[in-house]
Amino acid sequence: MKKKLSLLSVLLLLTGCWDQNVLNKTKLITAGGFDYTKDGKIITTASVPEANAMESGKDSIENQIYTATGTTVRQSRFKLDREVSERLDISKNQIIILGEDAAKEDIYQLLDVFYRDPKSALNAKIAVAKGKASDVISKKFEETKKAAGLGEYLRDSILSAEESSAVPRENIQTVCPVMFDPGQDFALPYLEALKRTIHIRGVALFRGQKMVGEIKEPLSVTYTMLTGKKHEIAMNTTKKIYKNKKPARLNYVTIKVKKNKRSFLVDVTPEGKISAKIKLKTKVTITEYPSDNLSTPTEVRNIEKQLSKKLTKDAQTVIDKLQAMNSDPFGVGRQVMAFHYPVWERLNWEEEYPKIDFTASVDVEVIGHGIIE
Amino acid sequence: MNSHTITHRQLFFLVIQTQIGVGVLSLPYTLFSKAKIDGWISLFMAGIFIQFSVLAIWKLCDRFPKQTIYEILPKIMGKKLGYVFNAIYTIHFSFISILILIMYNSIVGKWILFETPHWVIIFIMAAVGYYVITSSPREIVRFFVLVTPLLIILFILILYAYTDVHLLYLFPVGHTGILTIIKSSADAVVALLGFDAALVFLAYSNASAARNIKVISFASFCITILYGFIVFTTYIFFNPKEIIIVPEPVLYMLKAFSFSIIERTDLIFLSVWIISVATSFVCYLFIAAKGVQTLFGLKEHQKGAPYIAIFCAVIAIIPDDKLEVMTWNKYITMTSVFLSAVFPIVLLVIAVLRKKQEKGAATS
Repeated sequence: MKKKLSLLSVLLLLTGCWDQNVLNKTKLITAGGFDYTKDGKIITTASVPEANAMESGKDSIENQIYTATGTTVRQSRFKLDREVSERLDISKNQIIILGEDAAKEDIYQLLDVFYRDPKSALNAKIAVAKGKASDVISKKFEETKKAAGLGEYLRDSILSAEESSAVPRENIQTVCPVMFDPGQDFALPYLEALKRTIHIRGVALFRGQKMVGEIKEPLSVTYTMLTGKKHEIAMNTTKKIYKNKKPARLNYVTIKVKKNKRSFLVDVTPEGKISAKIKLKTKVTITEYPSDNLSTPTEVRNIEKQLSKKLTKDAQTVIDKLQAMNSDPFGVGRQVMAFHYPVWERLNWEEEYPKIDFTASVDVEVIGHGIIE
Repeated sequence: MNSHTITHRQLFFLVIQTQIGVGVLSLPYTLFSKAKIDGWISLFMAGIFIQFSVLAIWKLCDRFPKQTIYEILPKIMGKKLGYVFNAIYTIHFSFISILILIMYNSIVGKWILFETPHWVIIFIMAAVGYYVITSSPREIVRFFVLVTPLLIILFILILYAYTDVHLLYLFPVGHTGILTIIKSSADAVVALLGFDAALVFLAYSNASAARNIKVISFASFCITILYGFIVFTTYIFFNPKEIIIVPEPVLYMLKAFSFSIIERTDLIFLSVWIISVATSFVCYLFIAAKGVQTLFGLKEHQKGAPYIAIFCAVIAIIPDDKLEVMTWNKYITMTSVFLSAVFPIVLLVIAVLRKKQEKGAATS
């Protein structure tokens, strides 16, 4: 009996009661966004899903949107907290949206609070919005009206874009090491709010902690391939490989990348001239070819040749764009730092990078074409 | 008497469990603060250095079979000086226990229990420590063996980091210079402390001397490899510029991962890690209690156990801000490196010079 009593008291006492976080007294933010006001204050927009039990027994989710302004992120969140009845909690946050103007300033200043708080969700997605973040964190989207919370909707849209390689896979934590790296930059998904849906525009490129430009959607697939991404479930892209067939759709072929192998060579000559070359060996299957005739090996070889040419051209366009905006997401600088440290120490990388000789080539091999010839 | 002996396998797990403790979470950070990206080299050097200490401890205990450090000291240095050194060692081991409590408290308070008063966190651990050391050495070591499989969980969790690593962060290798690397290996020795438990527990081992040294040395080697793996992983996960602002890189790394069932991997890691901390704490508390037993001439170490546990808990409550914790950490680790790693070698030299040896021990 004595033993049982002591066991019972252990069960009751060991749990403690200081650190309880009662769910019905908190409001869980699932999406948060940041913009700047004209005088440099921070506007925080947050979405909190609220489940309503309906008479029919089905639940419906209503997304409540709150905004507040403050000098820092924390201060604006305190103000938000005062606007709502219960305590706001960010531990289940799904996504952070940075307004375009906010992304063009130092984004670490906005994200510091997420890195510092032990309860924050570091695996939340992070994306840039065309225009204002508050345009994206809104109630207007079709899918969020009935069932989905806004945070889940935005996150899933990005996840599906990641699966098709339109944007690279990143979250709050994965961008952090790169953000601090002087020899490498990163890119984030770039969203745009249309009337009733969200649209993935492509990727927003960063230099250091600031956004410097964008690469739009079909080309952003080439960008992701150049980062060395090996495989995604739906790494698809449609390419124009002929010029003058009629109707126009006959000029196109759609491929799905099965395997993507990157070799990345960074070379420094004794005089200190830096050159970089990315070579991709890509194995693809053809998922659409309206001209319909793939029975002969010569035709397949021809398509391979045309695709290699087209993709090489695209890759070069991506690289030229990156050099023009002085963003180094492939980490050429990191390679120089790692293997040619004395050269790196002499250099001013920000001045040097746009001038280096940076080329790409893509070698396509068709390994399949669906269940018809 | 029979329940007071342990086998060589148990000795292996004892050393392993004592070595893995509070240090593991912040080790990459401490190493990085001096040796930069070459911190992992310092660690492996420290691993080699401690093998000398391990050898010295074993040789020393081998000269006096079945005796703990507290019985050996008076025999080497004479009764009075021996008593003084016994007191120093008792205080030293209690302060290691206190340091474990302080570090455990500061990490738990920072990562999980924000609102819980610190004395509660400390007293829970102290109570566990007291409860375990009231049993015989064999029972304590059995508990250590029992919880060892949990280390596999820690290992697997860390393995997951390899989904997002940047190998290039390690380069250029050896950039910080060999001198800095050697200097900062002193910090690594601190994290590897735990082999000093052999000073007391070798007395209980019923295995042959040759087996004992193999076991302790191999345990230290295993932990060096494991720590090396952890440090290496965090160095390729975080950017060199980022580690400086992340004092517990291992936890921070895990915090970013989530699985469909587990959202916060770091909390799972911490719960398992607390057991590893408890084993180190128990081991040092036991050694301190043994010291109290010798100093006051008690019949059993159990008599002194509650006092030493309460003493440690009360002292551990004193430092309450981060800077104070760092100061305590600095001084206690400095003395521990000296008393646990360097001084056994000195003791061995004295013993050899004064030809102190117990009859029955193998002559070397």
